[in-house]
Amino acid sequence: MSLQQTLKAYKFGIVNYLNALKLQERLSGERKAGNIQDTILSLQHPPTYTLGKRRTDHNLLLTESEVQAMGAELHYTERGGDITFHGPRQAIIYPIISLRAIGFGARKYVEGLESIMIEVASLYGVNAHPGKAGETGVWVGDRKIGAIGVRISSGITSHGLAFNIDPDLNYFKHIVPCGIRDKGVTSLRREAQMQLPEDEVIHDQLIQSFAKTFHFKDMQWSQVSRRPPPAAADRRRLHPTKCSAGGDGQPSAANYTQLNVTLVN
Amino acid sequence: MALKLWASSAANALKLSSRAAAPFPASSISRCFSSVIDGFRYSDSHEWVKHQGDVATIGITDHAQGHLGEVVFVELPESGTSVTKGSGFGAVESVKATSDVNSPVSGEVIEVNSKLTGTPGLINTSTYEDGWMIKVKPSDPSELQSLMDSKEYSKFCEEEDAH
Repeated sequence: MSLQQTLKAYKFGIVNYLNALKLQERLSGERKAGNIQDTILSLQHPPTYTLGKRRTDHNLLLTESEVQAMGAELHYTERGGDITFHGPRQAIIYPIISLRAIGFGARKYVEGLESIMIEVASLYGVNAHPGKAGETGVWVGDRKIGAIGVRISSGITSHGLAFNIDPDLNYFKHIVPCGIRDKGVTSLRREAQMQLPEDEVIHDQLIQSFAKTFHFKDMQWSQVSRRPPPAAADRRRLHPTKCSAGGDGQPSAANYTQLNVTLVN
Repeated sequence: MALKLWASSAANALKLSSRAAAPFPASSISRCFSSVIDGFRYSDSHEWVKHQGDVATIGITDHAQGHLGEVVFVELPESGTSVTKGSGFGAVESVKATSDVNSPVSGEVIEVNSKLTGTPGLINTSTYEDGWMIKVKPSDPSELQSLMDSKEYSKFCEEEDAH
């Protein structure tokens, strides 16, 4: 009973996409075996384009070498959903939980993820809503502020949600986001009339909203690594055409690190 | 109480459908419960098996498709692939979530439902008929005995949904 009611949160700084994927695979295996409790990861990625299981790369308007030239990565994944972009100042939340233990199916889980982003947006006076049928995600008007892409394997979730705090939205110009033409993307920074706190505060609010929505009674927190301070991150916001591969604009190696997470119950 | 009502309605439905000589009568009684087919066997990961002769036809159940939402993509193995009881053989995508589908039996895939490529929604609209996913030649037919029958599976679904 207690395994299902306690949520363990691991907080990271900027994490390379593949490293985060390997960690999720390890955690999913452990969760499926019943060795660990429900877990949630909170992090951000360096500039990364990702595709889902359907491999809809016709929605990427660049060649792979153009992606690399701008200092970004491209990954094909097993998650649901279409093409999307992840980057600094976008909150990434990856819950690794047992849906069977709570009797949820995919639809109810995804609706829960949408409601979390809607709730956190409302804390900043932003009125967000779920998409129409077939347009999973969270919108402000017809601008997308939050995306979802999930994998469910033997009832255990991985991947999750991406919530735009203040990422460089120019990166989205090079894709048809989520395969939906004629709709824009936006961020909390663009939509909120008020000053935003540090990203970490918003990450924590997303996690707390998750814990509440999915009826967890208890939380355990573990800060594994940190993002660089905000001033440095702002200097790193470059237009994609000005990015040089691997040079200025990339977070230091130390921030990619530290996925040697010790799993404790 | 609800279970008693369901059971007696199921009995009535069975009497009616056996007159119609359908080999696998449906007990889709109350809108509160997902439908099941008597005579099929069911796994605890919500897949169904129809075993006729040397062939096991496999799909996901009404309970599963209802909890998934509209299926937009189906990933299937190729004919000739081996499947193992309890292990994944493919996946379905709905609401931006891909869900692995497990095989309830071990054996060799002899046919896959290619209609699902163009019309993945058959899983929602014709769950136990045109929405079948793979046909398997079972390597160990006794595995079917450890699966649930329609009554046991219906109860299993109720208990899961009661969380």
